[in-house]
Amino acid sequence: MRPRLFLAVTAQQVRRSMAYRVDFWISSTAGFVTTFGLAWCVWTAVFASAGSNEIRGWTLDGMLLYMVVVVLLGRVVRGGDIDMTISNEIYQGGLNRYLVFPVSYQPFKYAQAVGTLLPALVQLALFCAIFLLVVGRPADIAITPFGVLGAIAAMAVGHVLYFLLGYPLELVAFWADNVWSLAVTLRFVTTLLGGMMIPLALFPGWAQDVLAFTPFPILYAVPAETLLGRMDPALWARHMVVALVWCVIVQRIGTWVWRRGSLQYSGVGM
Amino acid sequence: MRYVRLYIAFVRFAFMRAMEFRLDFFFRFGMDVIWYAYQLAFFEILFLRTPTLLGMTPADVRVFIGAVFVMDAFHMTVFATNMWWFPIQVNRGDLDFHLVRPVSSLFFLSVREFAANSFFNLVLAIGVLVWMISAHPADFGAVRLAGFVGLLLVCSLLHHALNVLFLLPVIWMHNAAGLRDLFMGLGQYMARPDVIYRGWVRRLFTVVLPFAVLVSFPVRALLGPDFLGPALQILATTAVAYGILAVAWRFALRAYSSASS
Repeated sequence: MRPRLFLAVTAQQVRRSMAYRVDFWISSTAGFVTTFGLAWCVWTAVFASAGSNEIRGWTLDGMLLYMVVVVLLGRVVRGGDIDMTISNEIYQGGLNRYLVFPVSYQPFKYAQAVGTLLPALVQLALFCAIFLLVVGRPADIAITPFGVLGAIAAMAVGHVLYFLLGYPLELVAFWADNVWSLAVTLRFVTTLLGGMMIPLALFPGWAQDVLAFTPFPILYAVPAETLLGRMDPALWARHMVVALVWCVIVQRIGTWVWRRGSLQYSGVGM
Repeated sequence: MRYVRLYIAFVRFAFMRAMEFRLDFFFRFGMDVIWYAYQLAFFEILFLRTPTLLGMTPADVRVFIGAVFVMDAFHMTVFATNMWWFPIQVNRGDLDFHLVRPVSSLFFLSVREFAANSFFNLVLAIGVLVWMISAHPADFGAVRLAGFVGLLLVCSLLHHALNVLFLLPVIWMHNAAGLRDLFMGLGQYMARPDVIYRGWVRRLFTVVLPFAVLVSFPVRALLGPDFLGPALQILATTAVAYGILAVAWRFALRAYSSASS
């Protein structure tokens, strides 16, 4: 797919994603407040119960800022994962028009996924700024130019990888009548193993060793910890290499499933 | 008796329908199993770093989590699909058909769709809860256990009442996405023990929006020294919630314009 076409599709999706602004901001702000509020209650209770100001190198304020970052960053990485646009196009026959387009389906859908990012990126910047203004920068957090640039790069790779992980699952719609539960299952697995619920440093040592070779840390923990200055450049580079290898593996799986599935496709919507 | 016969018919149709979409059936089952593992792992990892959670031991929290699974699976099996369809029926004007039936419209709209695929998750969730209770060092006694089960059932009704109350504004707003997201967001507060909520947050989630009552209070009645206190609060909260729902339902139906959009 040519870069100019990619940008055109992305720009169109940006306009579409900003169309229902009031509904979007009410729904997403309420979602953020409820999710962060719960994390605040949980971590305040955990620190009080542990009777310590620090757990595995995290202070309470540092942990709360991590939660703000990781919840918002998760929205960027996941994009519209449970909008189920791909599986719906398979069910409803909307895929037909893409089959006659002179572009590949997967890059086209990815360009659309990139177009949904803008509101989530604005929220990430806005809510992090509000937290830093209200609470101040915790002592265990250092925001540096490397941290910001490294986090942006990790977030970009995380976004590609999450899309590629979800793509073959949505393509299961060629065979099954409802694949929504597969997308939700992916969300559960990545939320826990990607460090969105709990920083990976709190996992048992053996689990951290195993997770370092999986596709999950790059989705949330690596960009969040890099942004907060808790990731050294060598470790960041290793995570990026592992993530890129996973991108290649999962992309191949997606292509294989597409080939098999498109043979089943009758073009008749439900 | 008429309502029981009607409900048995709903359940029979649900199982027949579920058997037609077997792959989806297994995906849903797998999704909930992963969610159970996810919730258990969350607390097990926390307990690597702290011996208790504000006085609740790991064994207490495991019983709590088992009760969360049962509460969630019961809601998913009996009410959730109906609640998913309710705003769609309002927007399409399909509510008309239910209003003219010779049964309570609230009953019909709340339980018509029995989720057979979630029923197996309910069985699994009950198994997990029984396991967690039997692994707990305390001996609860049959009477207290029976009381605990009864309170869980009452709280399931309270959960349903809250769900309907959250969705009812769709009659005026015509868009339920935000309401549904808000209910699901607040529903997360049910899945954490109420000991973690302090001050105004505690008052908010035990009195105004009683999500923290749903599972924590039956578990308090089981594990704590006092059964009667939490039990009375559950019964009072549920009675008030259904009182508000009865009034709000009548008020909403009067405002229902029957126009599809």
